[in-house]
Amino acid sequence: MREIEIVSRKFSFENSHTLSVAQDHGAYKNLEKLKELAPTEVIEIIKESGLRGKGGGGAPAGAKWALMPQESEKPSFLVVNCDESEPGTFKDRQIITKDPHLLIEGILLTCYAIKAKHAYVYIRGEYAQYQDVLQGAVDEAYAAGLLDEVDITLHRGAGAYICGEKSALLESLEGKRGHPRLKPKQPEPEWYFGNPTLVNNVETIASVPFIIEHGADAYRAYGTPKSPGSLLFAMSGHVEKPGVYEAEFGVSMMEYINHYGGGVKNGKKLKAVIPGGASTGVMTAAEAENATLDYESLRSIGLSLGTGGMIVMDEDTCMVSVLKNLLEFYHEESCGQCTPCREGTGWVDKLVGKILDRRGTSEDIDRLLEVAETMNGKTICVFAPAVSAVIVSFLSRFRDEFEAVL
Amino acid sequence: MSKMIEIIVDNKTYSVEEGSLLIDLLIKEEIKVPYFCYHESLGADGNCRMCMVEIAGQKRPQIACDTFIKAGMEVNSKSENINKVRTNILELELINHPVDCPTCDQAGECSLQDFYMDYGLHDAKVSIAEKVKHEKHVDLGSNVMLDQERCVLCTRCTRFTDKITHTHELGIVGRGDEAKVSTMPGRKLDNPYAMNVVDLCPVGALTSKDFRFHQRVWFLKSAASVCQGCAKGCNIYIDHNKPKYQDDVIYRFRPRRNDEVNGFFICDEGRLSYKELETNRQESILFEGEVIDEMEVIERYKALLSQYRGEVTVVIDANLYSEEIEAIVTYAKSIEAKVYAPLACYDDPSFADEMLKSAKRAANYATVIEMGLETSMPTDIGLLINFNHPTPIKAKTEIFFSTHQGDRKNLIFPIAAFSENSGSLTNEDGIVQWCEKAVEKNSQAPTIIRWIEKVQE
Repeated sequence: MREIEIVSRKFSFENSHTLSVAQDHGAYKNLEKLKELAPTEVIEIIKESGLRGKGGGGAPAGAKWALMPQESEKPSFLVVNCDESEPGTFKDRQIITKDPHLLIEGILLTCYAIKAKHAYVYIRGEYAQYQDVLQGAVDEAYAAGLLDEVDITLHRGAGAYICGEKSALLESLEGKRGHPRLKPKQPEPEWYFGNPTLVNNVETIASVPFIIEHGADAYRAYGTPKSPGSLLFAMSGHVEKPGVYEAEFGVSMMEYINHYGGGVKNGKKLKAVIPGGASTGVMTAAEAENATLDYESLRSIGLSLGTGGMIVMDEDTCMVSVLKNLLEFYHEESCGQCTPCREGTGWVDKLVGKILDRRGTSEDIDRLLEVAETMNGKTICVFAPAVSAVIVSFLSRFRDEFEAVL
Repeated sequence: MSKMIEIIVDNKTYSVEEGSLLIDLLIKEEIKVPYFCYHESLGADGNCRMCMVEIAGQKRPQIACDTFIKAGMEVNSKSENINKVRTNILELELINHPVDCPTCDQAGECSLQDFYMDYGLHDAKVSIAEKVKHEKHVDLGSNVMLDQERCVLCTRCTRFTDKITHTHELGIVGRGDEAKVSTMPGRKLDNPYAMNVVDLCPVGALTSKDFRFHQRVWFLKSAASVCQGCAKGCNIYIDHNKPKYQDDVIYRFRPRRNDEVNGFFICDEGRLSYKELETNRQESILFEGEVIDEMEVIERYKALLSQYRGEVTVVIDANLYSEEIEAIVTYAKSIEAKVYAPLACYDDPSFADEMLKSAKRAANYATVIEMGLETSMPTDIGLLINFNHPTPIKAKTEIFFSTHQGDRKNLIFPIAAFSENSGSLTNEDGIVQWCEKAVEKNSQAPTIIRWIEKVQE
């Protein structure tokens, strides 16, 4: 496997979060390059690089940047999504604690491209101690005069999963209840207090300095044609060495798990993998054998790559209790705005609970799938469809385990 | 105005403004579509997901409240698939609903009941014991009671306090099926329009403390009328009922939509003014405090009229119907009386606001001005014939045509109140509005016009 350090280059250095260490290793050098580049040229480079959003959706970042108005009477804003709350995902916190200056440099480059003077970093509430590290870095950057033209404000969320959804995040940032907004009918920027706003994931922004420094082709040299570059993939669950390890898109999933994770814990057999955070569905060991870590490979088997945070499960895992665990989470975290999600997440949780308690009937399994169908594609945001897909992925692959406990 | 285009709904072509909301068209054309959260005064929120329709070319069903009409759009609101989607979402709406219709005051005017009859009719799949429990008796303040279990979280009430009154008392707390409407701890729903949330609530979650449990709504009859609380002339329904062998009683006023005047709402003071209308009514004919009959009162009236010939002054209340005011003025001329309609007593700037409440607290203020009546206070009066004017006026002798009991007068004629009579009012913006007769009391007092006829016979 090819080692790759687009985002994680400085992670292993001692005190890499401090400005002096970061600058010793080249931080903020790319700001010089902006003297020769027009904002639209920066956007072009990002477009050419094929950089895809790393918060889970994988939408092309350059196209999103291009939606931001270059001429506008209203101020433009950049909002960095650090509400990392997808179960199984813990990559952004590596960036803000181990190389916060990479993120700040990325913010400065991005703000230049979209002509924003103010950036917000929305951090999940539970990340208080990591926020302190990032705030320290921001303070150092202010003191060093790096933030003369762009302000960076850190904003801590109150712990709701849904605030990772960009429009709910913006509602929350505006001081309101974190409810996703109705989607626009045509491509347009996001809106923060009615002002054009770009929302990107931490890792997306942290990938920008590399692309500006080395060019779009250097980024495209990694990964696959459709999923260029790298991702901070992560592993948790039944592996010997759980953690975050950067890899290029397109590598074999099993090779990644074996190479970085040291294989399944205690030499057990692999049973299943949740490929990229709880909401991406579940795959069997056989599917994992054939999967590569890119958006297209997982889409082809009806799942998604998500944030690349894999949850590895060994042969002793009870899939009914895994689903119960996940559904409890969704039941707790549904924002409660749309009827199918508000009522559906509770009902499916209760149904699987009933099955797990051995009180279920085959009717309950049918009902579970029926409710999943009602939850799919009928809500404002993709929370309920994701829950629906999770249920379907479990029942289509491990139905026998559910039937065994009826 | 943007351009008119044609779209097809259920195989029928409609001409409609481009970019307008599909749900508005469906509502206007009375094409059946279930919805909880949409309201024309509050706009789309898209949370109830009930107003699903099929749109040609779209893979999934779409909500009509978030669909902007485009030329050539083909909409299907009635397919089997759509009915199934609506049924399934309604079922989810009901799984945590307490289904306590027999004790719910909304029964009979509840969207949840109506939609269940249209799209549900399924058996319960969740037992009562499994349902999520919430508070059932929350006194929000301003006569509004909240039952959190019956709530469908449509957020009409919270959006009303956010967008209409800008008082922000109500919000949603909790997530998922624990979400519920609430005020902030220690705070109350407190604004002059608060009770409109009861009308906005499509289900039995918000009910009026004033009305609930007094009458089942299917017994009520509604008459279209106008509130008499001020010169704004907000349109109302007078909801009343006359049970067998009992009297005709008004149970509530409800706002009646009129986009020219009050939109969808009325103020709480106007809404509750029916109580005053119903209490302390003048029912008997009185001479110096003693009850007399109709024959005697007309004799005494005529005697007083000839005794004070040339010294008679007529005073008119600016709440009377225009037809009544005109009849009084004509009659006054025939007996050579001076006519006054003093207005100063109706001015109350403390009542006024920027929404619906006017400082002129008389329903027909504008007619008095328009007819050019003398609006100052009369002095030095021999015989005063007072048509229900609220201010005490000094006179040697006073004849009072009165809806409500008051100070002792020489001669008192009981008269019908506005709810017991029909007529027109002109509001402060010059809009003439007709008020239907709502109530016929068992011992109904004659109208002013009828009395004038009687005393002239």
